[in-house]
Amino acid sequence: MTKRRTWLYFIPYGLWLALFVIAPVALIIYQSFFDLGHHFTLGNYSAYFQSATYLKMTLNSVWYAFLITLFTGLISYPTAYFLHGLKHRQLWLLLVILPTWINILLKAYAFIGIFSQAGLANQFLSFIGIGPQQILFTNASFIFVATYIQIPFMILPIFNALDDLNPAFINASQDLGASGWQTFSKVVFPLTLPGVKAGVQAVFIPSLSLFMLTRLIGGNKVITLGTAIEEHFLTTMNWGMGSTIGVVLIIAMVVVMLLTGDQKPKGGTPR
Amino acid sequence: MTQPIIELKHVTKRYGTNTILKNVDLTLEPGTFYTLLGPSGCGKTTILRIIAGFSDATEGDVLFAGKRLNKVPANQRNINTVFQEYALFPHMTVAENVAFGLTLKKMPKAEIAERVAKALKLVQLADYGDRDISALSGGQQQRIAIARAIVMQPKVLLLDEPLSALDAKLRREMQYELRDLQQRLGITFLFVTHDQEEALAMSDEIFVMNQGEVLQSGTPEDIYDEPINHFVADFIGESNILQGKMLGDFQVAFGGHEFECSDAGIPAGEPVEIVIRPEDLNLTTPEEAKLTVTIDTQLFRGNYYEIAATDNLGNDWQIHSVNPAEDGENVGITFRPQDLHVMRFGEKEAEFDARLETYEETEDETIDET
Amino acid sequence: MKRKLANLYLILVFIILYAPIIFLIVYSFSEGETMTNFHGFTWSHYHTLFTDPRMLAIVANTLLVALLSSLIATLVGTLGALGINRTTKRVTREALLTMNNVLMVSPDVIIGASFLIFFTMLGIPLGFGSVLMSHIAFEIPIVVLMVLPRLREMSSSMLDAAQDLGATMRQLLSRVVIPFISPGIFAGFFMALTYSLDDFAVTFFVTGNGFSTLSVEIYSRARQGINLEINALSGVMFLFSLLLVGGYYWIQQASHRHKQRKRGVTS
Repeated sequence: MTKRRTWLYFIPYGLWLALFVIAPVALIIYQSFFDLGHHFTLGNYSAYFQSATYLKMTLNSVWYAFLITLFTGLISYPTAYFLHGLKHRQLWLLLVILPTWINILLKAYAFIGIFSQAGLANQFLSFIGIGPQQILFTNASFIFVATYIQIPFMILPIFNALDDLNPAFINASQDLGASGWQTFSKVVFPLTLPGVKAGVQAVFIPSLSLFMLTRLIGGNKVITLGTAIEEHFLTTMNWGMGSTIGVVLIIAMVVVMLLTGDQKPKGGTPR
Repeated sequence: MTQPIIELKHVTKRYGTNTILKNVDLTLEPGTFYTLLGPSGCGKTTILRIIAGFSDATEGDVLFAGKRLNKVPANQRNINTVFQEYALFPHMTVAENVAFGLTLKKMPKAEIAERVAKALKLVQLADYGDRDISALSGGQQQRIAIARAIVMQPKVLLLDEPLSALDAKLRREMQYELRDLQQRLGITFLFVTHDQEEALAMSDEIFVMNQGEVLQSGTPEDIYDEPINHFVADFIGESNILQGKMLGDFQVAFGGHEFECSDAGIPAGEPVEIVIRPEDLNLTTPEEAKLTVTIDTQLFRGNYYEIAATDNLGNDWQIHSVNPAEDGENVGITFRPQDLHVMRFGEKEAEFDARLETYEETEDETIDET
Repeated sequence: MKRKLANLYLILVFIILYAPIIFLIVYSFSEGETMTNFHGFTWSHYHTLFTDPRMLAIVANTLLVALLSSLIATLVGTLGALGINRTTKRVTREALLTMNNVLMVSPDVIIGASFLIFFTMLGIPLGFGSVLMSHIAFEIPIVVLMVLPRLREMSSSMLDAAQDLGATMRQLLSRVVIPFISPGIFAGFFMALTYSLDDFAVTFFVTGNGFSTLSVEIYSRARQGINLEINALSGVMFLFSLLLVGGYYWIQQASHRHKQRKRGVTS
């Protein structure tokens, strides 16, 4: 009897699971089958897959997310690696994480100032003789700011993977005659790959859906899946189409998770 | 005979199709130090958990002072446990840990303080009350775990491999202390271990277990000198176990020779196993020997040499000798008839005891003669 | 040499990480209206900020939503973690954990959009209530993730020991389990708080008209261009974050030191 009573404690959490996890996902899928006039239709999907605009937008979004993830990774891995070699590394790591505590919109807002016509970036360009350029509202500025925002989320898992790495492996590798670079490429990097994967997961999916950056920094030139969803839900009020794109985003998310998830050795999974 | 404090009657425990305990009967008398001894996975901890109330018997009864205990929850049994990993509460001080059970009983503060102080004194950590658990060494944590249990004044204290996490020296110290504590408190201890030396050193009575069954119970001396079967002989102490044949009462053949022994009541011609402890073997010249063996290797163990040898039939022998031998040397070994112990295949404890009674008096005479 | 290059690289990364933030704050003290040239020191933007009744109301809203949602999410999440920890079947546990993490990995827009559909279908008006519920919803999984490891650390023999000493289920929970996992609960509450303060996208979807949080307000103002009052706001928020992080770090270090000092006694 006491056992049954203690399960009562689980009810709020169970309600949350039902109402805020299962129901919303179900609703967004359900909604994707309705048109503006609340009639059941497959039209949203056929429109999506037949429209060059939607497909191009999707490809674009994936491409930009890929670029952002790539740049983030290229900057973050050496950073994490060098940080890990420092004396007070936990303190330095904290300093890496600190900017993530600043509201993302404030950081975006800062770049509006930095990239503006007479802003810091253009002052620098004038100083070195290139002369002022249009920086804000370009694709490059969007990628730059997105990368800036994502860097700490990539550094953290890589740093943790390095931290988990048993230093004896490095000694063993050197003992067996590997050079510094060989030790890194054959031992350290493969063993910290899970950290990189976790970082990719943490960066790629949000990059598909960033919508405030496309508006504030990208000047609506880049349309990500996130921007499209926001547009359909809050501007054109076409929830059916918005939900359809949402379903596409969910599928993209699942694919990314499967690709970067823990791959348990199962009879020669191709990598 | 006094009323047993704990009785297990035909206790069986199954998880699905997996049988952990097979029809176990146990009787624990008040004020005695018992040990459940067996390899890991033999079911000894399961017995402890059933007595403590953390686990239910699938079949059979658990009696406490004659009353059925099966349905009484763990928190209402007058039995306490000392856990393998101590299980001290890390968020409480030493004194708070020891006082935990008493505060749950809503005992007056002054009385709690008094009993906690007494318990801490009993485990020789009187001044440690204000310390944090993490500030204690393994041995000290062990003592606190014991204090926390005995402060409840249980009739029975269950100890689940409590010394296994300690280093060898500390373990020996704690063996003396536990034995001493049990005698001072005068309550029943049921101690679980896989360490046969520990069991032999501490117990009044040992239950040797394997694969969910109690194979043999008795005083440490009984079990060491007269193991009931191959498993017990092998598990407890070092032993040479040889295949042989009974020739008649007090006559047995093995290693190609016939020997006088101290066992009887076994039909002539029955194949048996013979146990000889390595320390009962003496090295001698081949001429005076009962058997000759060739020395293979030897290890110096400090207080004796552990010698491995082979006889001409290819049987391996282990000999403990104060004097060294030489590798490859042919030496003789001797032993006394009472150093041989004959075991029948598949004999149960009850059958063994019954057989023993039929010739016990005669056996005493044999010993007197030598 | 290598070390020097590495340090140079790190310095560069840190400059990039902090330049925008410092830039923002520096200009919050600049006279004038743009973030281009520093025109001299002034507190005037802070003055404007603290006398802007709309802004103050929004700050109050934001803090209220954050505190309330974190408290509720911590309660529900802790109970949830206790429940998940009690499951004995591996499959059930994995399934629960997967469902728990759905909101952790879902993009904000999906959460926002699906919650919007949910509230509309149930006829829940958009505003304080919907924002509060949404925040509770996306904070619960992080609380669970902070509490669960602590629960796992708790050895089953410790619970057996408590029962062995006479604790009832209720006493077990209140005297052993909750005190033991309290660092996890605290960390969960703290993370929930920062999630709430940080959120923009979900709030943006479910806020409707008339109710606003700081993030949403900054977004709409930033879309209209530079306004140094926002710089002042970022200065205040940076200070607030710094205090929060500092406090959190200090508490963790203190408990760590506490342990080390005590360990030191025995060695």
